[in-house]
Amino acid sequence: MELEKRGVVAPLVVTSTFLPLVQAQAKARRVDPRVIVVPHPIGGLNEAELAEKIAFAAAALLALADEARGTS
Amino acid sequence: MTTDWDVAVVGAGTAGLTAATVAARSGLRVVAYDRMAPGGQLVNLTVLHDFPQPGLVSGASELMAELVAQAAAAGVTMNFAEVTRVHAGAPPRLSTTDGEVTAGAVLVATGLSAGRLGLRGEEELVGRGVSTCAGCDGPLFRDRSVAVVGDDEWTADEALELAGLASTVTVLVPGEPRWSAARAERLAAADRVEVLTSASVVALRGSGVLSGVIVRTAGGERELAVSGLFSYVGRRGPAGLVDGVPADAAGRLHAGSGAPAAVGPVFVAGDARAGAEQSLAAATADGTRAGEAAVAALRPADGGLNLRIIDPTHGVLPEDEGAAAGAPAGTTDWTQVALFSNSKPNATELLQGMGAKLRAHWDLPELGFASKESASVPADGDTIDWLAQRYRMVLVAAGD
Repeated sequence: MELEKRGVVAPLVVTSTFLPLVQAQAKARRVDPRVIVVPHPIGGLNEAELAEKIAFAAAALLALADEARGTS
Repeated sequence: MTTDWDVAVVGAGTAGLTAATVAARSGLRVVAYDRMAPGGQLVNLTVLHDFPQPGLVSGASELMAELVAQAAAAGVTMNFAEVTRVHAGAPPRLSTTDGEVTAGAVLVATGLSAGRLGLRGEEELVGRGVSTCAGCDGPLFRDRSVAVVGDDEWTADEALELAGLASTVTVLVPGEPRWSAARAERLAAADRVEVLTSASVVALRGSGVLSGVIVRTAGGERELAVSGLFSYVGRRGPAGLVDGVPADAAGRLHAGSGAPAAVGPVFVAGDARAGAEQSLAAATADGTRAGEAAVAALRPADGGLNLRIIDPTHGVLPEDEGAAAGAPAGTTDWTQVALFSNSKPNATELLQGMGAKLRAHWDLPELGFASKESASVPADGDTIDWLAQRYRMVLVAAGD
């Protein structure tokens, strides 16, 4: 969140379980972060499960990144 | 007496946020410090049993979000500097990593440190089998054996959470359990849970990652093969944080939530207080009492109204906050992209996988990379400076 305040596009990768926590932190820090939410958990996944999460999250990242660059 | 703040709260967990909100609602200028993030122990929990009342279940994240929202609405200012010392006096002074501030009253609600057994090799195995957060790390131990050490309600809740993931959960109780009858029933009904009383861990096994623990019971010592060890004993209070305030053997401070410490207008609330019940309900009640006590302590001696001119722009975000700023100064451009990992298991792999997709999509050169030393510490300031100066975009693993 500090990076966004300094002008860096800094998407936060967050699992669904921790989304409320990140939202609360953002509110306390008075920032409006770009968030990519993936299903919980990330730790403990095998290679195939992790690849599935990467594909899911990357789709959101590419859209967000294109939009950020297009408006910069 | 002019002070930087009317009330400074050290620790933004349940007790601290509650106390801060109570004080701010009385019109006082309140700052709440937390070196990491608001939430305290709630950050480590997923489900809260018997809260807000016995028999009910609620979500920890939702409660934390509500506490933060209430504090913000009341006008509490959050600060993420670390308070390193509270100096007694009139007024009390706080040494922080951002400098020194004064306050009319100080509320200490730091909670307790993470559980530790104090065994050789324990610190090296933190994050490699040794954990204190079932909600965060439990999925790492799916279909594997784990041990939980402790005797209180939190221990029981963590064991029950792990029972939904691990193949076996052995709860090692140093003496006799202190958890409620309702928790005992739940543990007894869980197929995968075994509770051993008068059991202590005397050594850890494993090279690089945990592979087992040596358990001592009345019947002697034996090795228990486990991949995970969740410890809820050995948690320490903030002994030495406040000048002149004594602590008990566990480092918890001897001062009341409703009465100031002998050293001045310093109050202690929540688990940091010696004798605290260490439950969510007790932390809420303690925080309320401490907030009310601070308000009373700052009330004018003549009992008259404490009128204050309120800044009409209060709550309005300054222009440089609340939204993403423009492009950073310097020569950065969109080919300068980095990954910033929180160092949790698989976080780096996830970022690298996402980064590879972005590299292909934008035809980027190598991506920069940085990582926190541990998920349980704040990001290093120098690392943030480096990323901010060098990169246009940084993909951050923030919560997993």
